[in-house]
Amino acid sequence: MEEFLQNSGFLIVTMVQQSLLAMSLYYPLMAGQLSLASPGFYALGGYTAAIIGTHEFFTPLRESIGWLAFPLEWLVAGVLSAILALIVGIPALRLRGIYLALATIAFVEILRVLCLNLTITGGAIGIFDVPQLFESRWSYIWIFGPLLVMMLFFSYRLEKSRTGRAFQAIREDELAADSMGINPTRYKVLAFVIGAVLAGIVGAMSAPFLNTWNARQGTFDASIAYLAYVLIGGSRSIWGPLLGGAMLSALPEVLRPLKDSRLIINGLVLVFASIYMPKGIAGVISRLKRSLTWKSRKNGGEA
Amino acid sequence: MKRVAIAAISLLAVATVAQAELVGKPIPIGIGVAQTSNVALLGEEEVNGAKIAEKYFNDNGGINGTPFKLIFQDTGGDEAGAINSFQNLMNRDKVVGIVGPTLSQQAFSADPIANRAKVPVIGPSNTAKGIPQIGEYVGRVSAPVAVVAPNAVKQALKEHPNIKKVAVLYAQNDAFNTSESGTFQETVKKMGLQIATIQKFQTTDTDFTTQVTAVLGANVDLAIVSGLSADGGNLVKQLRQLGYKGPIIGGNGLNTVNIFPVCGQYCDGILIAQAYSPSADPKNAINNALVKAYRDKYKKDPPQFTAQTFTAVQVFVEALKKVEAATKKKITQMELAKVREELNKQIRVGTYITPLGKISLDHEGEIHQENFYVAKIKMNPDNKTGKYIYVK
Repeated sequence: MEEFLQNSGFLIVTMVQQSLLAMSLYYPLMAGQLSLASPGFYALGGYTAAIIGTHEFFTPLRESIGWLAFPLEWLVAGVLSAILALIVGIPALRLRGIYLALATIAFVEILRVLCLNLTITGGAIGIFDVPQLFESRWSYIWIFGPLLVMMLFFSYRLEKSRTGRAFQAIREDELAADSMGINPTRYKVLAFVIGAVLAGIVGAMSAPFLNTWNARQGTFDASIAYLAYVLIGGSRSIWGPLLGGAMLSALPEVLRPLKDSRLIINGLVLVFASIYMPKGIAGVISRLKRSLTWKSRKNGGEA
Repeated sequence: MKRVAIAAISLLAVATVAQAELVGKPIPIGIGVAQTSNVALLGEEEVNGAKIAEKYFNDNGGINGTPFKLIFQDTGGDEAGAINSFQNLMNRDKVVGIVGPTLSQQAFSADPIANRAKVPVIGPSNTAKGIPQIGEYVGRVSAPVAVVAPNAVKQALKEHPNIKKVAVLYAQNDAFNTSESGTFQETVKKMGLQIATIQKFQTTDTDFTTQVTAVLGANVDLAIVSGLSADGGNLVKQLRQLGYKGPIIGGNGLNTVNIFPVCGQYCDGILIAQAYSPSADPKNAINNALVKAYRDKYKKDPPQFTAQTFTAVQVFVEALKKVEAATKKKITQMELAKVREELNKQIRVGTYITPLGKISLDHEGEIHQENFYVAKIKMNPDNKTGKYIYVK
């Protein structure tokens, strides 16, 4: 067991981390907004943690509060992401569909080029020697795990709340929702900010986890990967991004023994999954569940 | 009660077995470089070097008669891939040491993990500042840019003593080129030359009119280009087409035959500093063996990354021999953890005669290399092929 955790611990934590990032894309999707901005906030959060953790300006602070610096990093990353999401979200969310996706890709790209050129972000080399919260990679499950559970609970409550129903109403028909007295801009920005804060906090937790942070984290490629998580997993329930993120990030590693052909298999899985599971893995599971309960009701029910 | 005792004893037995884990036979050495993703072009050269080294040293008796084998785990191009590859090599494949990863950014991510697990790492191509300082188990055989790059400037000054004003151009979205350009700028200042203009571009750019106009306007005597093959090659081409006549120094990104088709006849005369020269010392037997094996297989001279990875494997092999000499025991009869610790100590002792010439690793793990080289591109009359002529 010990050995298994030593070897696969990093992968398991990565699966949880990627699931969380997929979820950050899911919240805007709940309100029907295709935003690919998550990697930008993920990068912002990572840089926040790496700078607070290594910059000499923060040395007295780090020395005086010790390990509390880590929760502080998450908090600062979350707040910064929320502020930036508000600034970006209010104008960007006037766009719809593919135009919003393009605008958010541009946002990610602007952040990346900015980080490449600033000295505080370490330019292209990035920031290294990020202080560690835990010795072993596996132990990082103690921060990513609780965050995942919290987010699942939050989503569960959100879907039942007035806000969650407003998101769904906007997703189904924005005009109709507007005429029912729901303020679409307000709820769209709210969904965008929730996703951004989550991505920012995950970034802040990931900088120590990866030991280093640079402009290669949170690029356009990552946007596409997260989108794939949500699409393959299923975009209509919170379990979709969870399953999609975990499975797609694990797949290349599970296929490692196949050496060079592993990426081909990985690609084939993506293609077939999108053809045969248009509602994602979560969609297939809920269909199975429905047919099972239906069958059992038919067999054992009223008789 | 009896059952409990048996269980306790068997548990104890398992525990002791796990503790006294011996080194496998043949002795496993890990290679964690990029075999997929956009970095694979570089990783491929490293894999080739490692394979030639495996055959060469095993044919020459391995580690005092015990053969070793290389275990390859792909890192891909990202940080998480590098960590996964290293974890597999350390925990599943039980290697005594690791050669890798390909990129410096990956090294900053994966090396601390190997360092905490006390597994020696030798970087074959990590040139960024701060790599050996990651920890006591991290070293490299790739000389940092700060050491290699100035040689080209010196050579340019030797050929054109009246250089005064210099233009520096670099691809700002690439870690290597940005740090290399910083070194060039420092060197130029240190030599009392004036930096007339600094121009930035992206590795994905194809039109460099803005940068070239600025260079021509500044009326410089030397242009220094740090970029990758496609962008760097096009930049050189446009510099020449728009009328720049002075000497051009290329960074390590242009140190590949892939630029010949890009800039064609205009590649002629580019000066590039080298950490490796396939033809520097005809008396270097080990380099001759590498060059011959590489030519037999690939019909050309080995590139720098191939030679550096070969060297990294060689350092492990020779250090393992020194471990046997120091402990007077066979590696395969020693505990894995002990071998890793001793190996790390021995890597940093003495000198190695390698394809890179005479090298040693200091206590931090930084390479000290005796010779560096400068090559000048000479294009063939067909303007599609060419070669590197070593001028120093």
